[in-house]
Amino acid sequence: MHINEKFSPIRKGLLEFLVLKIIAAERVYAADVLKQLSGTEFATPEGTLYPLLSKLRREEWVDYEWTESEAGPPRKYYALTAKGREQLRETADYWQKINATVKSLGAKTGF
Amino acid sequence: MNKVITINLGGNAFPLEESGYEALQAYLATATRRLERNPDRVEIIADIEQAIADKFRATLNAHKGVVLASDVTAIIAEMGPVEDGSAGAEAPGSAAAPPPKAGPPPADEPPAPRRLYKIREGAQLAGVCNGLAAFAGLDVGLVRAVFAIFTAITCGFGILVYVILALVLPPALTPAEKTAATGAPSTTEEFIRRAREGYYAGMRTFGDKQAHRAWRRKFKREMRGWKHDFRREMRAHRWDRTEGPAPGADRPDAYVRPHPGPGIARPVLSLVIWMISLLAIWVAWSLLTSRAVWGVPLPDGTPLWIGLVFLVIAYHILVWPLKTLRYFCFFRGSDRAAWRLHHDTGGGFLGLACVLLVLWYANGHIPAAHRALENLPPEIHHTVDALRAWWARR
Repeated sequence: MHINEKFSPIRKGLLEFLVLKIIAAERVYAADVLKQLSGTEFATPEGTLYPLLSKLRREEWVDYEWTESEAGPPRKYYALTAKGREQLRETADYWQKINATVKSLGAKTGF
Repeated sequence: MNKVITINLGGNAFPLEESGYEALQAYLATATRRLERNPDRVEIIADIEQAIADKFRATLNAHKGVVLASDVTAIIAEMGPVEDGSAGAEAPGSAAAPPPKAGPPPADEPPAPRRLYKIREGAQLAGVCNGLAAFAGLDVGLVRAVFAIFTAITCGFGILVYVILALVLPPALTPAEKTAATGAPSTTEEFIRRAREGYYAGMRTFGDKQAHRAWRRKFKREMRGWKHDFRREMRAHRWDRTEGPAPGADRPDAYVRPHPGPGIARPVLSLVIWMISLLAIWVAWSLLTSRAVWGVPLPDGTPLWIGLVFLVIAYHILVWPLKTLRYFCFFRGSDRAAWRLHHDTGGGFLGLACVLLVLWYANGHIPAAHRALENLPPEIHHTVDALRAWWARR
């Protein structure tokens, strides 16, 4: 199995965490999120991102407001809510724990 | 030359090539279906439409006023299949959280049920074979070949089946019907693959009058060719009486020269053909009464008549080689009378059904006939009882 395919469930699971992180860093709209993800292993098409953003909003982790843009129609700019910030902190802690576990188990091998 | 359709996407008008419009509509229809149980589907679709509109705008400039079909396929590929995020992606943090209350569908929802349609795009006649191929997921060339062979061995019965199907089947006209006819192109990858393979090429040429005329010329030429071949065949077999009998030993009355070969073959083959006929009648009966054969029901959503058509096809396929074998066991060469005899026995299935029907009717309604049946030799009753007992054991 190709490595890309093998880690696809992991990437899928981490995507939500990363989107929360991106939105936490600055006020962004969907195309910004896509652009930031595009160069990485987590490159995501719109077809996946929009349902994910809508889910985050339903969980009340993010919220958006319409903002006029110079070019084209108004855009939805997303920002984290207090609940979303709490969620992000929790997820980040968990991610640290997982990282630590991966490092410590079988540490002798040096990988 | 392509027709252009103007669409309203995210509050802006875009001129779009017709086949591109079809592709876009199919993409959005699939997206809507996938988000069916998502409470925010309207908003997500609006976002997606807006994103597509942005991409369309980027492809247009002062010298290019129309969004091409190839632009649309590229943009759809870029968008990726719409996946219900609330079903699939689950962040590590939310693993312990209660499941979302919306009750989203599982990620791999069952595909939309397929239906049998005529598909006109790329069709040779009415699109029946095309529809059957799409329904069964087979190559259309293969289906046509099988149909042609079936027509040949059943002496034209296939034409009747074709005409019936052409009349009965609805044509797939709207994108939704096309999706149902071909099985949903549920992912964009599949959609793009099909587009690349020229699956939708028919759509582009269909409105093209010149292509249509060329096709009709070709069709007429082929039909003339077939007619010619058929006449030649008729002359070769001297079925055409106006040609007069050919000189030589094989005059129409010099026929039926029993082969000195295996004399036992004919009755055995006849018996086997009879048994297959009986079996076919029983299967038809079982289909009509319980929609199942040997306890195996018809696949979900399959109409009864398709089962019956398949039964007839299977019957002919089974019986044809046996009949040919029987024929070759008995007759040398291929004189006309022998052919006729061969064809007369072809009515066996129908004849047997009629006989059985008459017997069943007489048994129930005519006392004298009932008595006559009662007075049949006891061996026959034993056989029937044994068959009944065997049936009861099953």
